[in-house]
Amino acid sequence: MSETRGRICFVCGLLVLIFTLFAWRLIYLQVSQHDYFSLKAAEKHSIRIPIPARRGRILDRNGEELAVNIPVQTVYADGTHIRNAAAVAGVAAPFLDMTVKELTEKLSTQRPYVVIRKGVSEEKAEGLIHAMEKSGLHGLYLQEGAERSYPNEEMLCHVLGFVDHTGHGADGIEKILDQELSGQDGFRMIEHDRKGREIVIYRGQEQLPENGSDIRLSIDMGLQAIVEREIDATYKELHPVSATAILTDPMTGEVLAMACRPNYDPNRFNEAKPEQMRNRAITDMYEPGSTFKIVVADAALNEGIVDENTRIFCENGHFSYGGKILKDHIGYGELSLHDILMKSSNIGSAKMALRMADNTYYDYVRRFGFGEKTGIPLNGEISGLVNPPQRWDMLTKTRMAMGQSVAVTPIQMVMAMSAVANGGKLMKPRLVLSRGEGDNVEAPVPLREVVRTKTANFVSNALQSVVSNQGTAPLARIEGFTVAGKTGTAQKISPHGGYLDNRYIVSFAGFFPAEHPKLMGIVIVDDAPIGKANFGGLVAAPVFSRIGGKAARYLDLQPESAAVMAQSGNAGSIPGSIR
Amino acid sequence: MNGNRRRPSNAIEINFLARWLGLVLMIGLAGLFFVYLKNQQHAVGDQTRQVEAALREIEATNEALKAQITAMTSRGALQRRLDDGYFKLEPIRDTAIARVTPALQAEPDGVLRTASRDPDSRLGLGVPQRAINR
Repeated sequence: MSETRGRICFVCGLLVLIFTLFAWRLIYLQVSQHDYFSLKAAEKHSIRIPIPARRGRILDRNGEELAVNIPVQTVYADGTHIRNAAAVAGVAAPFLDMTVKELTEKLSTQRPYVVIRKGVSEEKAEGLIHAMEKSGLHGLYLQEGAERSYPNEEMLCHVLGFVDHTGHGADGIEKILDQELSGQDGFRMIEHDRKGREIVIYRGQEQLPENGSDIRLSIDMGLQAIVEREIDATYKELHPVSATAILTDPMTGEVLAMACRPNYDPNRFNEAKPEQMRNRAITDMYEPGSTFKIVVADAALNEGIVDENTRIFCENGHFSYGGKILKDHIGYGELSLHDILMKSSNIGSAKMALRMADNTYYDYVRRFGFGEKTGIPLNGEISGLVNPPQRWDMLTKTRMAMGQSVAVTPIQMVMAMSAVANGGKLMKPRLVLSRGEGDNVEAPVPLREVVRTKTANFVSNALQSVVSNQGTAPLARIEGFTVAGKTGTAQKISPHGGYLDNRYIVSFAGFFPAEHPKLMGIVIVDDAPIGKANFGGLVAAPVFSRIGGKAARYLDLQPESAAVMAQSGNAGSIPGSIR
Repeated sequence: MNGNRRRPSNAIEINFLARWLGLVLMIGLAGLFFVYLKNQQHAVGDQTRQVEAALREIEATNEALKAQITAMTSRGALQRRLDDGYFKLEPIRDTAIARVTPALQAEPDGVLRTASRDPDSRLGLGVPQRAINR
């Protein structure tokens, strides 16, 4: 009896021991090793799916879409679902424009998320899914994305820039405002079943994406189209190295249009050459020539060194200074400040500069914004070149007075001329009107008061005469409006020192209506091979006139007939002193 | 042999049995209900997934159509159609444009007038003050 009892106790004890061991093992796996096995399980079933943020659109000032998103699919593979990589590759390769071998290599993975191809169109993606279902294969999935598209193609390409293959801005506004345009991608932790379908009730942590902000530019596409058409016609007709035009609102500094040639299509940026992609309005500097005379005139007048009645002897066209002869195109005797600007006298401008202290003159050049970046929100802007007085030689001051020995960018020149147009305030160029939802329009930013209003008005008045028959740019006239402006004809600098013969950068910078300026524009034509007729007044001024005329019509500006009669009253032949 | 002739019997405790059977039944039903709810959850999850996919598809189609409309009405596309002669532009002469006076702002009293009372308005449409203030 006791033997039987002993056996029972032994078996029971053995069972207790076995179950104790099992229990201990269970506790060990469930408690001690909980984190480890949870992670293993999550790795097996749970994956982090990114939810891409929608990139913000770029709009013009009237809401016209300049950069939009086209939905495309990203094809990704879950390596844990792929049993036969070669079979999947054989089915999928034709839809993905890849070779079977290449795709097989990519699919031979155990990673749960491997991007196979981005930018697959909706049609191809649907075809791929149907083919996979038909063949009973698993492992390839779709994820929504978007491709950037620029519906206006080449138009405004240098301002807009483009988005590279990573989806981030690589140039222009796309690059500078990339963070605001991109937004913040979200994500969702999901678990999937054996067939790779999401098990919705086991959705884990989720963070919704923050879509990128829409950016509204100050650009007016109506004006941009006008500028593009004219600059394109000039480029095709004259075959210059480059052509640039900018339109701004001189009162607010808003950039209304900006175009350069050569240009490119941002939808096919990988086909563009580097010289096509340069936004020459901000990345190229040039000697401005006579357009720079507004600086010395403003400075001398504002400092009281000359006044409206001061007359300067212009040496009859030959002025010997510093061992060099400075020439005017036509010999002049005594000229007033008004006439120096109207006739674009080099000697008159040089003599005005010589009356000023070096530092004073330099200070005015800098106050007009030359030698520093304007702060326009575009990448690649340069500050130009203005040497301080310590680095000047004897001739520098006289040369700077007529726009040599100094290098400026087109945007700097526009903003400086705008200061004359708006009564003496240097404005910061404004390209972005608002960001995101709502009407929170950014305010214009005046940088400083460069000259007194009276000074600016006098120079503005003198610049009106530049467009008269006695001036250098009668071809810049716009029917129905008084135009104020200045021509520039500068010899190109040789890379070996000195200047190149018969090769010029010609320009015209002006604004209208002169009394109450609405539009400020500059046209620059670089090295057009047209021989001796290559002057700002003959090449750039007519382009400005055409742009201005069409822009006035587009903006429905009221013609001011009385004032125009005064400007164009002396109808007759165009004088030969156009420079 | 006069033993107890009463047959031995074990009384069934109905109350006890019913209590346990009820408990087991309740647990069973709760389990079944749990399974039912879980299945419902999965079914609703599947529906959610399908609706989300359909929504995504509609959104994508909508976006694609909007992008197509933008591309087809872009300035470049319109210019090409103009060049092809699909439509043409007719210039409007300045003499054919009538410019009307700008709309009047509300008066300080907040009342918008129905007509300009400015006798010097450019189109000469000024009306006598008396007529407006009746």
